[in-house]
Amino acid sequence: MESRFQRIFLVTSLIVSVLFAFSVSVYAQESTDNEDGELGKIITPDIKRRTIKEADLNSENFEIGLFYGLLAVEDFGTNEVSGVTFSYHITENFFTEAAYGLSTLQKTSYELLSGGIPLLTDDQRNLTYYNLALGYNLMPGQVYITKNWHFDTNIYFIAGAGNTNFADKNYFTYNFGAGLRFYATDWFSMDLSMRDYAFTHELFGIRKKTNNLEGRFGMSIYF
Amino acid sequence: MLSELKQQLKKMLCWRKSLIGFLFIALSLSALADEPLEVTVNDAFINVHNGPGGGYPIFHVLERGELITLLKMHTDWIKIKTSRDLEGWIRRNDILLTLSSDGAVPEFKKDNQSDYLVDRFEMGAGFGDFAGAKAFDLNIGYRFTRNLSTELRLAQNTGEFSDNQIIAVAILHQPFPEWPVSPFVGIGAGTMKTMPSATLVQTEDREDNLLQASIGAYVHVTSRFFLRVELVNNYVLTSRNTNEEVKEWKVGFSVFF
Repeated sequence: MESRFQRIFLVTSLIVSVLFAFSVSVYAQESTDNEDGELGKIITPDIKRRTIKEADLNSENFEIGLFYGLLAVEDFGTNEVSGVTFSYHITENFFTEAAYGLSTLQKTSYELLSGGIPLLTDDQRNLTYYNLALGYNLMPGQVYITKNWHFDTNIYFIAGAGNTNFADKNYFTYNFGAGLRFYATDWFSMDLSMRDYAFTHELFGIRKKTNNLEGRFGMSIYF
Repeated sequence: MLSELKQQLKKMLCWRKSLIGFLFIALSLSALADEPLEVTVNDAFINVHNGPGGGYPIFHVLERGELITLLKMHTDWIKIKTSRDLEGWIRRNDILLTLSSDGAVPEFKKDNQSDYLVDRFEMGAGFGDFAGAKAFDLNIGYRFTRNLSTELRLAQNTGEFSDNQIIAVAILHQPFPEWPVSPFVGIGAGTMKTMPSATLVQTEDREDNLLQASIGAYVHVTSRFFLRVELVNNYVLTSRNTNEEVKEWKVGFSVFF
């Protein structure tokens, strides 16, 4: 296996060197072509003519990110949560975000006090959620480290809906939140945000509306 | 020398049919082909912001005749570099005030609604009500003429007594696509999987075919971004004696690519 990786590495490095040699020789060829006397320089202008199309320009409107934080689920304690986000930036203000998160629930106070009667199995305590939300950027700002060195920031509000799954059931969930985004470069940002996941369940026999708060830190790249 | 190397390269590629190798070649070739995209300012001035948004301050002004390099795009903003290595952002529409080296205005699509009518992919999500159950919908579509588009619909409906998932294909007709509020009608077909809640006695999952008829409207918000409202009549072809009719409404948004 190891030798196989070595081979792959060797092949790629060889390809690089070959391509480099090739491009250098092409370049050399071009430069000799141009040297056809003073007259050539006068007749053929130096500018290369080129039509520019929108597709030639790389656009970075997609964002993929990871986050980690704490999710407080009513009656089930505050638990670690981690997940992924995938966003598309539609305009400078609007963006959509799809998120998927994973967490594990703790025992309820009842389960602890009653002396070990479990309400849910371990499997049922695994919580996952997904949602799709629409966000709006506002209050663009900048943090200046020196006079010319700055980082862009902005605050966003976000709302959407999705499903939360635990205890063998899906719960339709609305989500609301806000966050502060800090752009380290054009293509890398960090994000400190809060979300509220609101859903109704009947696990304790009566319908109960719950608001479950999440605080998280995320990092994303744009491509 | 070069041909030798080429032959060696070929041998190696045969020997190691690795996808990575091919990808690598493609990537490096495209990198070699990349030349800077240079344009000349053809207007009295163009403002340069120091971030990709109208709220970020203007810190530089480009003058007529100035040569700039286009670096990349983020939403409606283009990152540029001046000949003095100053980097900043200009509005996407300001590109129409420049000329490329062939003397023509760069070919950028105008950012209005009518440009999102043909040959476009659409992605959207909607939330609503499916006969009392909460509906969450995703749709991916393709518009192949001004008026017709086709789409794949995925839905997860979460109810008190049962959950269901729908997968369907639909065709939409939009008679007046250029209107800011543009109505549409659609028909679709698919399957619905129903999963009764585990707390109920009868917990048998079932799968039924269904037909859909829908009516709705696109509301243009900005550039490629639309709101979408839809009322769907689902006709569920059950294995029981009677078929079921389920009304569903949803509100969502759509983005055209």
